[in-house]
Amino acid sequence: MSQTRYLIGVDVGGTFTDLLAYDESERRLLSAKVPSLPGEQWRGVLEALKELEIPFDTIRAFVHGTTIATNALLQRRGAKTALVTTKGFRDVLEIGKGRRLTGGLFDAAWQRPEPLVPRDLRHEVSERIEHTGGVLVALDDTELDEVLTTLRKQQIEAVAVAFVNSYVNPANEKDAAATLRQHLDGIPITESAALIPERGEFERASTAVLNAYLTPVMSNYLAMLAKELSGQGITAPVNIMGSNGGAMTLEIAAQRCAGTFLSGPVGGVSGAVRVAGLAQCPDIITFDMGGTSTDVALVHDLTPRMSHDNQIDAYPLRMPQLDIHTIGAGGGSIIWLGPDRTLQIGPQSAGALPGPACYGRGGTEPTISDANLLLGRLDSERPLAGGLRLDKPAAEAAFKSIADELDTDDLVRLADGALAVAVAKMAGAVREVSVHRGFDPRDFVLIGFGGAGPMHSFLVAEELGMSKVLIPRFPGHLSALGQMMADLRRDLVKAWGGRLSQLKLADLKREADALREEGSALLTADGISLDRQRHEFTMDMRYSGQSFTLAITWSPDDTDFAPLRQAFDARHQETFGYADRSNDAEIVNIRLVSIGDVDKPVLEFKPGSSSDHLMRQRDVWFGGWKETNIFTRANLPLGFSFEGPAIVEEAGGTSIVPPGWTVTVDNSGELLCRHTEYYS
Amino acid sequence: MNELGRLELIRESLVAVVNEMRANVIRSSYSSIIYEGHDFSCGLVTADGRLIAQGEADNPIHIFAVPYSTAEIVKTFADDIHKGDIFLHNDPYTGGTHLNDILMLFPVFHDNKLAMFTATRCHWGDVGGMTPGSLSGRVKEIYQEGMRIEPTRICERGRMNDAFLNLLINNMRISHERRGDFNTMLGTSRKAAEQIERLFKRFGGTAFLDAVEELIARSEAVARQRIAMIPDGSYQAEGYLDSDGHNPEPLLGRLKLTVDGDKLIADFSGSSPQTSGPTNVGPAMALNAVATVVKSYLDPETPVNHGSFNPIEIINPPGSFLNATLPAPCGGMAECRAIMAALMVSALGQALPEKLVGDLKGGANHVYMSGPQTGIVGDNAGIFLLYEYPAGGTGATAAADGNHVVRAFPEGDFNVVQAAEIAEMQCPVRIEHYGLRKDSAGDGEFRGGCGMRRDIRILGDGASLSVLGDHAIIPPFGVAGAHSGAKNRFTVIRDGEVIQPSPVPGKVGGFPLRKGDIVRLESSGGGGYGDPLARDPLRVERDVHLGYLGKERAKERYGVVFDDHGAVDKTATQAKRERNHANRLTLPISLAKEDEIDGTRRRITLSQATAQILGVSNGDLIELCHLSGAAALRGWVHIEDTGGDALHLGPLGISALAAAPGDTVELRALNARAS
Repeated sequence: MSQTRYLIGVDVGGTFTDLLAYDESERRLLSAKVPSLPGEQWRGVLEALKELEIPFDTIRAFVHGTTIATNALLQRRGAKTALVTTKGFRDVLEIGKGRRLTGGLFDAAWQRPEPLVPRDLRHEVSERIEHTGGVLVALDDTELDEVLTTLRKQQIEAVAVAFVNSYVNPANEKDAAATLRQHLDGIPITESAALIPERGEFERASTAVLNAYLTPVMSNYLAMLAKELSGQGITAPVNIMGSNGGAMTLEIAAQRCAGTFLSGPVGGVSGAVRVAGLAQCPDIITFDMGGTSTDVALVHDLTPRMSHDNQIDAYPLRMPQLDIHTIGAGGGSIIWLGPDRTLQIGPQSAGALPGPACYGRGGTEPTISDANLLLGRLDSERPLAGGLRLDKPAAEAAFKSIADELDTDDLVRLADGALAVAVAKMAGAVREVSVHRGFDPRDFVLIGFGGAGPMHSFLVAEELGMSKVLIPRFPGHLSALGQMMADLRRDLVKAWGGRLSQLKLADLKREADALREEGSALLTADGISLDRQRHEFTMDMRYSGQSFTLAITWSPDDTDFAPLRQAFDARHQETFGYADRSNDAEIVNIRLVSIGDVDKPVLEFKPGSSSDHLMRQRDVWFGGWKETNIFTRANLPLGFSFEGPAIVEEAGGTSIVPPGWTVTVDNSGELLCRHTEYYS
Repeated sequence: MNELGRLELIRESLVAVVNEMRANVIRSSYSSIIYEGHDFSCGLVTADGRLIAQGEADNPIHIFAVPYSTAEIVKTFADDIHKGDIFLHNDPYTGGTHLNDILMLFPVFHDNKLAMFTATRCHWGDVGGMTPGSLSGRVKEIYQEGMRIEPTRICERGRMNDAFLNLLINNMRISHERRGDFNTMLGTSRKAAEQIERLFKRFGGTAFLDAVEELIARSEAVARQRIAMIPDGSYQAEGYLDSDGHNPEPLLGRLKLTVDGDKLIADFSGSSPQTSGPTNVGPAMALNAVATVVKSYLDPETPVNHGSFNPIEIINPPGSFLNATLPAPCGGMAECRAIMAALMVSALGQALPEKLVGDLKGGANHVYMSGPQTGIVGDNAGIFLLYEYPAGGTGATAAADGNHVVRAFPEGDFNVVQAAEIAEMQCPVRIEHYGLRKDSAGDGEFRGGCGMRRDIRILGDGASLSVLGDHAIIPPFGVAGAHSGAKNRFTVIRDGEVIQPSPVPGKVGGFPLRKGDIVRLESSGGGGYGDPLARDPLRVERDVHLGYLGKERAKERYGVVFDDHGAVDKTATQAKRERNHANRLTLPISLAKEDEIDGTRRRITLSQATAQILGVSNGDLIELCHLSGAAALRGWVHIEDTGGDALHLGPLGISALAAAPGDTVELRALNARAS
């Protein structure tokens, strides 16, 4: 048997499956990109692996980012799912708390999306837990038997069990699930409190239903993947990237698939965090721009922010996720005129087919890529990777009707104006994860990656007054890189707390210890030895009388509550503009993140020589035509520095550096860029 | 700066500021109605009080009224507005909504000149007054509804007027929560002002303010262009609120909408005088309601600003319940706004029938349960307050069924009930049922959405119930011949018996509850669209299968008959539909000289024979439906044999039905309907 030496990260996107392999003995990275196969994602994974031409038995670890759950939900291809709930609460899933949740203001024709479990598949049983945890009504076994009979008759494929107040005492819910499991052989059962023991019957039921609905699709896929991989002789453990930023085993991924919606974008954030660590930039905002959408996330002190109150499609989701904000603006987004003749961008996208007008595949509407071509930022003279030559007349023709409507023949200014609107939208997304959460983006470094990230991140930074941009190596493969480097992670929560003035620290420590033991046991079961485990606590806190909470880091070594209280006041002041120091503060939940450290690649940088980096020059529009240097990234030497305007080309990305920016190749090979004006 | 993208860029920035204000309020507020209910809104207004921007989730009912308040503040303080000033306002007579909605205006300066205001309007859980929560269906004057704040400078050049603030807050229940909410509004305003100052710096203040004017001008151009496409003419609508809470008389709302080229004139003259109950509004709400419907019908897609209001002229004489003066209580402003919006839906729907939509549950359906808090010590001890405002089903349209239990198109996107798990933790109650209300949808070719039923068990002694709702006597109308939705119903179940908590349905003031009582909230279904006999039988089958509709009612209203397996029996259905159609009571209309109104009630004179077929007696509520008309016309039966079978209607009534003399209309009894 040959020695294992490869770590693999593979990101399955809508268009491409992107694979990165790290060779531990040679310390080098290999990459492969193949078209994704809808419905058969595993096949793309295998194709990409084969393209690498490495012996499969030399693979040591394998992490996979998958869009299986997301796609199945968006296309409503989940299982026929039933919900078993407390008597009197059958319709909670359908009507929620009366909110529309998907827009609809001023739209009398707005239609509420159908619930994932229709009314005839939602069943009630008599049982009731009080808010204190007391059992008010015991589970009615006879009724449960009747439900069981109906479920069989209805030929359901998955079941969610969600009882009122199960977050404080899950006994009835557990018992019901056990009975169902026993009698519905092979049908996956999701228990709401086991998935997410948090208060709020609608959100918890919605989360459980999402999970149940997608479990069969996910387990089938994972089983198929495991079978195919082992059939190829790959014996390495396969892990799946979770929305929380950590990896999980196949078994856990199947059970908790509602925790994989961000499996793809999370890889990019994790990769960016790694790069930021190497570049010693602890506070970053990630800017991952693709063809149809852009994902942004805020990372403070090398820790991505978490979000617990989420929504996917029309459905509330309480699984912890990285706080990633997605907007429908990417390179392929279509530019159009609103009824009041203002320029609008997206969310319609030209997609892969027909693609932007300049691809010459029949697209007739102008897109962001077409705008970039007219501004000279993309090159019509030289073919893209894959041999595609961009068609400038087609791009011009696409802008013509808007130009006529606006009574202008200056297509370049029109393209520039449209791009400015797109940039404002993307800046809005950055503001959403920063300003809306109480952070000033100017204190952060913007990391631009994804196919179109390096091309637009400088403009977005300028829009927000951010003085630093970092373009990582492999900007087009950062998600796969992030997956390869992902630690195993388990998120645990305990609804426990009260007012600080009335709590005893010893009680908190006892609860925390129990939670840590639980987390540790889970990681041990995942094969992580004790010396490679890490446990971090945060407390969900608020002032007495408030509802929303802030997550405050807590150390079990604290000797009183003072540090916790101070950190909370400071965070509240920073976030909301005031602190209520005279009021009592409360703990609502104890959260624990248990992390299992895995081996990671050592990213070595082999700089180019100083003679061959400048490729050529051409005119590019930056508020006027400017002669612009075009560099080849692979050839840039260490410490090399240049000023914008400049363009840096590499496989998988083009960085557009406007005037005013100074770019330096840092020790690890990243492009560290500073705006000369804002930077101090 | 490139000119071509600039306007959209500036608009994007403005909306970003408002959205940020929203995020800030939700996450830092103290009242459950704000953080759970989202009953608040944020916006930006020009220095002279024109609306610049609101957010996607903000409620037009709050924000469309801000220009009135701002104008009042600018009039009161004129040149005496300085950096560091902050203003409060809630007075309905000078542009407020109801007293619970406290508006904070925070001036923003450019070049030492007043440039804009940030506006934050939050519903405070209690503002003092007669009953906990301040809103009651049984008040008689505004002094019973809490503290009324005329334009007031709460902070002068950075110096807070603590004496005023303390006086205000100490006269409200659960005062520490009020203080928290005040702080939230303060923090939100400050942060928004900082953001705007940053935008001034970035775009240049003058250029920025010019762009704001340009955006308003463009919205106005779009609005005018769309209005110009509506056929010119006058369209009449008529509708009712149940009552003022004391007097059994319904309140008559009248609208004459005139489309004249690119402008609209909405004239509410002829509506009932103001009342001594809570169903009154101040001057701000008419434009509020009219503009909301105009926006929805004509231009739902572009972001809102004052330009959309400019082509609208309002005629609304003071002294009516739609433009009331001191001391008329105004707690029921949402109910009054709802009837004005419904009148607009109906009148504009006559001009644009494809846009018609069935009516819904009325206004806000305020329900307060309050009493001694149990088991909680410390400064939260004292009273609990559980405030919910049940949504109902929404109205059907020409293309689709209404939605079940959800906020409707003219309303901001709020939570309308608390999570049971939160309510039970914070109040001595237990939620025993929360679900769809069967057979509550307005039947039609497209049906309305179902309302809801919610049962709340009261676990402690000494609690009380207050309700301020409408459509508890007169149900939400259907359009184009469809049926109305079920009425709102608020009852108490005590020892298994159903108790009416008030002699006036929908208006309850401090009804004493006992331990073990169940408060039952049942909300309206939405009005339907079109002839129910034209509904696809498979849709009826689906509704029956899912339990939205009972089999009996499917047969009665839709003429759909099922076989033993629960599938549509096609032959029987066709026969039944023919029979139902033949059995309809229809009469031709003839033009009377005048509309007959008894007090406020439209009188519909029927022969003894007709009344008998309809099963109604003198004084019963009935409706007239016209298949190619808009809203059903309501009236009260007057039995008198006038000879001949025609239905005598005055010009207003015929116009409101969008009918002509000689057309036939269907008669339906409303008080006998199943619910």
